Amino acid sequence: MDVSAMIPELLSALPLTLAITFTAMVAGFCLALVASTLRIRRVPVISNLVDIYVSYARSVPVVLQLFVAFYGLPLLVALFGAADFFSPNVAAMVGLSLYHGGYLSEVMRPAYLAVDRGQHDAADSLGYTFRQKIFRIVGPQAIHIGLPGYGNSIIYLIHNVALVMYIGAADVMATAHLIMERDYNQYQFETYLVLAVIYSVLCLIAWLVIRFFELRSPMQAPEAKATTQIRHALISNA
Amino acid sequence: MLELKDIKLAYGSAQILNGVDLSVERGDVVSIIGPSGTGKTTLLKCINYLAKPASGTISFDQIKMDYQRPDKTAVQAIRLRTAMVFQQFNVFKNMTVLQNVMDPLVVVQRKSKEEAKEIALHEIERVGLTSRCNHYPSQLSGGQLQRTGIARALAVRPDVILFDEPTSSLDPELVGEVLKVIKDVTSSGITSLLVTHEMQFAKSISNRIVFMDRGVVAADGSPAEIFDSPSSPRLAQFLNSEYSFQ
Ligand SMILES: Nc1ncnc2c1ncn2[C@@H]1O[C@H](COP(=O)(O)OP(=O)(O)OP(=O)(O)O)[C@@H](O)[C@H]1O
Ligand SMILES: [Mg+2]
Repeated sequence: MDVSAMIPELLSALPLTLAITFTAMVAGFCLALVASTLRIRRVPVISNLVDIYVSYARSVPVVLQLFVAFYGLPLLVALFGAADFFSPNVAAMVGLSLYHGGYLSEVMRPAYLAVDRGQHDAADSLGYTFRQKIFRIVGPQAIHIGLPGYGNSIIYLIHNVALVMYIGAADVMATAHLIMERDYNQYQFETYLVLAVIYSVLCLIAWLVIRFFELRSPMQAPEAKATTQIRHALISNA
Repeated sequence: MLELKDIKLAYGSAQILNGVDLSVERGDVVSIIGPSGTGKTTLLKCINYLAKPASGTISFDQIKMDYQRPDKTAVQAIRLRTAMVFQQFNVFKNMTVLQNVMDPLVVVQRKSKEEAKEIALHEIERVGLTSRCNHYPSQLSGGQLQRTGIARALAVRPDVILFDEPTSSLDPELVGEVLKVIKDVTSSGITSLLVTHEMQFAKSISNRIVFMDRGVVAADGSPAEIFDSPSSPRLAQFLNSEYSFQ
């Protein structure tokens, strides 16, 4: 077993890592949208429950949230008399979706509230309906304000996916440990190095995608050429 | 045409409007003056229900509403027939000048893009911004932003246009260009309500002046009556302080 054989083996676990990430990204986004809406439009009782959920997702260490999901969810479905269908992978997806949703709602809510009150007034005074106002005026501006925070939350999510090995999901991190144990810890440094490269590439891709949308935003001065800005940003980031 | 009766509004424990009556005839240019914090902006916002009075009534031609029983359709009907120009401009930051002026026509009035664009370009020309059509708000001066706000208000062809201190957040050298546009608008015959601290300007464009003080209308009359022979000591004192300030 040498280093070059280890790389494809590590990469074979990448689809699961990506699947967990994307599931948490999509489900978390939907959760965050609902949570932010309920926290802005204060519905009695329900909004308070959502507050508790968000503070749980933001204050409990993510490892702990994964354990709670792994051991708690089977109990929860048992209460309703359903069979336990929670494999480590499913528990990881649910746990990270809950974490990411709560975290992201604290990106969305401030972004929405940061849109100038006057923009609402202007749209209302012209007879925009609530939906039209959100989709055409307030939403696009909130997205512009929230994008950098959203980028950060995605990067934290990618990092936190590495924790799913604690509940037994076989992601790249867990696979790396398997490889090392089997090979009598010969290539520990190399394995961790490859792992670091994989995570860096994932985060870089996520960052580039977010950056693309940031630069495409109409509130960005249009004369600023997107390509030169990306180059500058890359240099300053490096 | 537009009549407000006994409007009362409080923010928390502060009573801002204390039974305001105001009526406006078609073609009137009414300037509202008064000390800072007496509720002039708030009164203007009651008309299009951006501010929500606790009681009072509004009638706008055949549309009638009691503020104790707010009625969505009446509010919307009033909003469709009025337009507001804001002290802080409130130009949509995610849209160019042209998009700002077109958007309400396309989205609210459901006009075709071509028709909306034609109307928008006409109003943009009227406020002298043709060369800035495709600029975003972040690339415009205060005066240009406010002229965009005025073009957007004109484009919806409102029956009444509400100006809320349109020049008071502008640098002094930009005030002139905006006042010129407002003068052009008001002299075109459109019914206008204007809250302002520009006394000379109010005098020259209005056919009526309303003096508000402590949440009520304290004086109401022609520019000559208000400025040349003020009826109350409060009004005289206010005018004195405004003139000495200018
Ligand atoms: N949303 C709000 N919440 C609480 N208080 C408010 C709000 N809007 C205005 N006020 C208060 O209401 C009072 C009247 O405000 P308003 O803006 O109507 O005054 P104004 O006559 O337009 O004054 P100015 O000439 O300075 O613009 C002020 O004391 C202000 O602090
Ligand atoms: Mg005001």
